Amino acid sequence: MAFRDVIRSFIVSDLMGGGAGEPPKDSDLLIEEGIIDSFGIMALLGFLEEKFAIHISGDELLPENFASIESISSLVDRKTELRTEA
Amino acid sequence: MDFSFSEEQAVLRETIIRFALKEINPLVEGDHFAREAWAKCGEMQLMGLPFSEEHGGCGVDFLSTALGIYALGYACRDAGLVHAVVTQILCGLQIRQFGTEEQKKKYLPDLCSGRRIFAQAITEAGSGSDALAMRTQARWEGGAFLLNGSKMFISNGPLADVVIVFAVTNPEARTLGGISCLIVEKEFPGFERCRAMEKMGLKSLQNGELVFEDTPVPAENLLGREGQGAIIFNESMEWERSLLPASHLGTLERIFETCARHARERNAFGQPIGKFQSVAHKIAEMKMNLELGKLILFKSASMKEQKKRAPLEASIGKLFISESLKKACLDAVQIHGGYGYMCEYGIERDLRDSIASTIYSGTSEVQKNIIARLIGL
Ligand SMILES: Cc1cc2nc3c(=O)[nH]c(=O)nc-3n(C[C@H](O)[C@H](O)[C@H](O)COP(=O)(O)OP(=O)(O)OC[C@H]3O[C@@H](n4cnc5c(N)ncnc54)[C@H](O)[C@@H]3O)c2cc1C
Repeated sequence: MAFRDVIRSFIVSDLMGGGAGEPPKDSDLLIEEGIIDSFGIMALLGFLEEKFAIHISGDELLPENFASIESISSLVDRKTELRTEA
Repeated sequence: MDFSFSEEQAVLRETIIRFALKEINPLVEGDHFAREAWAKCGEMQLMGLPFSEEHGGCGVDFLSTALGIYALGYACRDAGLVHAVVTQILCGLQIRQFGTEEQKKKYLPDLCSGRRIFAQAITEAGSGSDALAMRTQARWEGGAFLLNGSKMFISNGPLADVVIVFAVTNPEARTLGGISCLIVEKEFPGFERCRAMEKMGLKSLQNGELVFEDTPVPAENLLGREGQGAIIFNESMEWERSLLPASHLGTLERIFETCARHARERNAFGQPIGKFQSVAHKIAEMKMNLELGKLILFKSASMKEQKKRAPLEASIGKLFISESLKKACLDAVQIHGGYGYMCEYGIERDLRDSIASTIYSGTSEVQKNIIARLIGL
């Protein structure tokens, strides 16, 4: 599964209460639409760090990095690339 | 998995216990904030435990910091002072994690030495548990953030030289992207620290309202990036929900020891009261909660030390330890009978102090909500 599908499936199962509604599209604005709130971001961060074995540090903890599935997966892309380069 | 302390950690614990018993306890008579005791904690570098030597601290790891606070909670009779010290450290952790190098250089040395008193202001009269529904606003105008609004119940607030204030900078973006963190100094115009409020317990801790009326905050006093406030709040709650419970666990250990001693020494009906099952069970439960509390506390503190995320562990620890402390304090009054109820024995004071631990830093109900969310419910 591509990063974005893994992330989408977590959002649907854990942040949207199990998938009754439509799954969000890559560019849907998750924060603006209230899908990710302040509790949701804690759950999402924990999930991303564990699933992709990355650490998201202070500078990257910006709302814009979590605005959509697209931006979350590009953050994960950048972080995993850095790890393979290291 | 090794459950023992290192030699350095054992020495740190012993040193802090000795320090609190000898140097602090004689200074904390009465209900007022003991400035001399605060200054001694500064000299002892208690507020500087986790910060680098470069910034005036002692460069101790986070688990050892939690152990240090645990020792302080155990030995220091003044839970209000312990709370004030922990508040100071928590402000420093926010500056260390999100501050610029200039901010660290400017604020951390005074924070570590206790020369300046720090506070963090999130709660408002209309928003506590729902903290991010805050209304205090900071509008960018004429080259500065103009801060307007008020904060409530702020620990160290009435004495604070520096306050980390959470405020709405973008009302449209609402909670996640709309809140920012500003460092406000007491000299800034339009900033008023109201008098300390009378409380049920933690009497020496100074809590009060802070009011901001067109208070200009320069751009260099933005902590982190604009819109990062909610994320800073979440991050700092993980530190807070490890360090405050560390002090509570220390208090729980002291209460357990006091009760066990009393149950061995006090006789009724021809035998020590500890021989009565109903008394013994209360003390057994204290011991059980103490040991379980240590496991979850040291787990969350170790995870933070390893730069891992620990919101679930921190919430479980905060909930379990604060509720255990409150229960133990109530049982301690019962176990001590009339002596437990009289002020001069100090048992009732622990009870009054303990009640707030299930309210601040997120109430017990809120911790359960967080745990439920984090397990996907
Ligand atoms: C000693 C002390 C020190 C403090 N220090 C600081 C400080 O330094 N800085 C700061 O910013 N604040 C501080 N506070 C404020 C503290 O964080 C708040 O009091 C706390 O978050 C609760 O908010 P509230 O008082 O508005 O209660 P409310 O939020 O009004 O809650 C009232 C009751 O409703 C329950 N409740 C609310 N929402 C829910 C929900 N969703 N589900 C279930 N139950 C719910 C609560 O659990 C509680 O029992 C301090 C408070 C105390 C007592």
